[in-house]
Amino acid sequence: MNLDALKCKFYELVAPSLPNEWDVEEALSRLVTGKSEKIDDIFAQIPAIWPVSHSLCFAYLAAADSALNSLEVDELSLWVHTLLDRYETSGLHGAQLFMRDVDRHFINPMRGRGGLRLSEVRSRLQPYANGLAGREMLLIPADGAATNTECIYLPHKLSLFAGNEKNFLLYKLMVSFQWASIQAGTFAVPKGTPPLDATSAHPLEQVFSQYAFPANARSLYQFFESGRVVAFLQDELPGLMREAATLLPRLPLSADTTLVLNLLDRLQQGLLRGKWSAVGQLETDDRARLLLQRCQAKGVGNQVSLDAVHDLISLLAKEDDFTETLPFIFQGTLRLQEVLNIHMQRRQERKLRFTKALTVHLQHFSEKKALDANDDQDDEKKVAGQQGQGLALVVETDNQVRKNSAPQPLTSVRIDNQEIPFNEELAELAEQIRQDLGSLPDEYVSSAAGKAGQGYSAAISLVPDDGSGVIASVVYDEWDYRRKGFRKNWCVVTEKDISPVQTSFIEQTLQKYRGQIRRLRHQFELMQTTEHFVRRQRDGNDIDLDALVESLADICAGRPPSDRLFVRLAREQRDIAVYFLVDMSNSTTGWVGQAIKEALVLICEAMEVLNDRYGIYGFSGMRRLRCDLFPIKRLEERYSQAVRQRIGAIGPREYTRMAPAIRHMTSLFTQVEAKIRLLIVLSDGKPEDYDDYKGEYAVEDTRHALLEAKAKGIHPFCITIDRQAHDYMAHMYGEVNYIFINDVSRLPARMPEIYRTLTT
Amino acid sequence: MSGRQERLDEHRIEVEPYYLPIGDEITIAEAAYHEGVPLLLKGPTGCGKTRFIQYLAWRLQRPLVTVSCHDDLSTSDLVGRYLIRSGEAVWSDGPLTMAVRAGAICYLDEIVEARKDTTVVIHPLADDRRQLPIEKKGELLTAPPEFMLAVSYNPGYQSVLKDLKASTRQRFIALSFDYPAPEKEIEIVCREGGLGGSTARSLVKLAVMTRALKDSGLTEGASTRLLIQTGKLIARGIPIQIACRAAISETLTDDRELLAALDEMVSSLF
Repeated sequence: MNLDALKCKFYELVAPSLPNEWDVEEALSRLVTGKSEKIDDIFAQIPAIWPVSHSLCFAYLAAADSALNSLEVDELSLWVHTLLDRYETSGLHGAQLFMRDVDRHFINPMRGRGGLRLSEVRSRLQPYANGLAGREMLLIPADGAATNTECIYLPHKLSLFAGNEKNFLLYKLMVSFQWASIQAGTFAVPKGTPPLDATSAHPLEQVFSQYAFPANARSLYQFFESGRVVAFLQDELPGLMREAATLLPRLPLSADTTLVLNLLDRLQQGLLRGKWSAVGQLETDDRARLLLQRCQAKGVGNQVSLDAVHDLISLLAKEDDFTETLPFIFQGTLRLQEVLNIHMQRRQERKLRFTKALTVHLQHFSEKKALDANDDQDDEKKVAGQQGQGLALVVETDNQVRKNSAPQPLTSVRIDNQEIPFNEELAELAEQIRQDLGSLPDEYVSSAAGKAGQGYSAAISLVPDDGSGVIASVVYDEWDYRRKGFRKNWCVVTEKDISPVQTSFIEQTLQKYRGQIRRLRHQFELMQTTEHFVRRQRDGNDIDLDALVESLADICAGRPPSDRLFVRLAREQRDIAVYFLVDMSNSTTGWVGQAIKEALVLICEAMEVLNDRYGIYGFSGMRRLRCDLFPIKRLEERYSQAVRQRIGAIGPREYTRMAPAIRHMTSLFTQVEAKIRLLIVLSDGKPEDYDDYKGEYAVEDTRHALLEAKAKGIHPFCITIDRQAHDYMAHMYGEVNYIFINDVSRLPARMPEIYRTLTT
Repeated sequence: MSGRQERLDEHRIEVEPYYLPIGDEITIAEAAYHEGVPLLLKGPTGCGKTRFIQYLAWRLQRPLVTVSCHDDLSTSDLVGRYLIRSGEAVWSDGPLTMAVRAGAICYLDEIVEARKDTTVVIHPLADDRRQLPIEKKGELLTAPPEFMLAVSYNPGYQSVLKDLKASTRQRFIALSFDYPAPEKEIEIVCREGGLGGSTARSLVKLAVMTRALKDSGLTEGASTRLLIQTGKLIARGIPIQIACRAAISETLTDDRELLAALDEMVSSLF
């Protein structure tokens, strides 16, 4: 195909855009010699790429021909899809790098070659890690394996083995080893160490620093611990270790790239590959092997490893240096400072929880005591606690008693000669604190006692005082119909408080529609759970006398009698949950906004009669990173004055990016149990936003969001006042799932009627 | 009378059911029985509530009448109704009435599944009146001292709409059940599943791991009952990994990724 023909075809595809002819010629020049089928395949992707980025499209055209030398034709679409994802996360430069090496960046990962990424296996590994640990144990990508006892670090990618199965097994081994290190006590504090202190290094670090060569001590400790932890794993996870038995000898060691092996190299080879020096050949090796066997005995703690280090280090020569010998790949580095930081963090959390729980406990205790004994105000103050010497002395005495005897679980505390027994939560916390610090600090108790005395409320508000704070932000994908795929993590939906407003709007609305409201209440009352008797049943609560008489008559007449002789009470119970999603875009000014607010007031008044659960959210926003959702009434919230004031506060805002709001409501619905879940959208126009979220793109994205909702068992319905609705609503919602109200002033009256029709 | 006696005899527990006490639940239950106070058993599925009540019935030598509650359960289903037999309307006692007359233990399993207007029928039986009104017969039945009412439910599984009213709850003495401590659970699985200690120990470890996933996608972790069922499959010669897949993983979830994670746990432990 000649260049002019290519240009003509190109301009047709990108119309009405008119890109610079020079750029077009440069991009298309490489395709001139290509076969026409190939060119057709390449051009077929242009409509998906051009709207996203013109520069990217030109870069694609320049690279596509050579890409097809590696790609199968039916892989081209997927390659472009991945290219667009890469562009959206890493920009044009990232996309160009992606296109530069098709094999490395696309084909090998797709076909299982080129290693295994953590992101590909996280969904399988994360629940596994959580199950092992008994709690959430996040897996975080890092340069190598490690743990800080709160989370497990793993390499971004493993490509040691050709097959991904083996790489996955290595990931699993890493997770299991890191968990086992925590469980077996690799980071445990040596005996006799005083309680951890935030200003000092981790006690293990302090132990290592006592030696002339701390790095050697650390390396040897890691080696003995790896032997101990592997033995622990043999016991705890025999299936895994059996699988890993073929893997371990193949793992890389520093010894593989070293000409002269040091002691640690030889020990690592021995542990992992069974390649020990002959007995009697090297004294230090024999000694180390013996010490390793002690570490591998069942039930021993890390003190054995520390003793082994102390024993062996005295046999080392001055020139022995293990800094070039890396730990095993599944072990990684010891992040002792991080472990200490986490420990201090947990200590602080425990202190806060204990103080808060004890404060509440003391308040309840004092109230109960006041009620029981009919005590006066002075007694309450005594029990709640006086900060002062008397209190401190009492608590201190308790601790001293406990220190002198064998450690007993803390089950109570004495405040001003009053024994205050702990509840289960406090006893558990107190014991954890005692194990950490050796005793329960006086300041914990006195702090709680002081707060209890002041009637301190431990409630913490997460919402700023001005009431307009952000509640939560969630990220959603967006459907791009051109590439038939999602733009990942594209939109940010933020729930924001809507400040209630004191206006006369509600009273005026109730007055204006008072007759209608009375009628609505009556109509909605009839919609409540109904009961009726169903006669002539085979089974029921009572005998149907008419049926029985007929049956007896049939017997006398020689005819076979019916067995449907009972009457049953049938109940039709409503089990409906509905969310109203209200368009708060800037087009809802004036009469439109007024009508929407009035409609909401009417529907709320009517819904209060029913048992249906309902919630109301408004939506608006600008651009994909600011899709705002305003909770006006949450599902389980009462229809209170605050809700009425929030309805009064509804006003026109910005644009109408509808799909993220629909996706957010869908996710809220997943937490709701109901036979029927209904999403009713009130809109005055097409979905549209400030950026390129318009036209067919916006309609298709909204339609896809609605389909996603339907797939989850939610019934979407739209009430619209847009005169152009018929052009797109049927496509978005389906022919029967929207209703057009031609006169906006009729919206308040029509809305409850529509709801009644939908749900009966 | 003989018909009623026959029906009651079906509910007698002749052979001692295996039950390993967890705490002092037997002592409390016996005290409640002798004081005429009903029992409320709560705990996750498959942790031994029903087995406990069977054991209690055997121990007290009383028949045990069990009713599995559901949304459609009516008062007539519990108390009784008129039936047509040979052209005559004949009253037929429901399981609750039968248990009261016979001084048996009546066990309403998963009571929150029944509608609240049905469960209120037990109120007069569950307080110091210990009476059951049978309105259709105009009879007021007083329960003998041997009668006991027991109910159970799973607190973690209810929806918001299903809960016991305070007026119902506060008529009972409540016993809280949970999965046994590991050593006890191993003993139970060995005994009921017919397994050796080592396999039972690994099964219990697997269950503990699945219970930790309760907030990560699983509604409930593997119960003791599931472990016993798995053990029975293994004892019959089914390979361990296949038995675990069929009896634990596939029972707990349909989610593909969670199934894969559970498979990884099984392959690590066995």
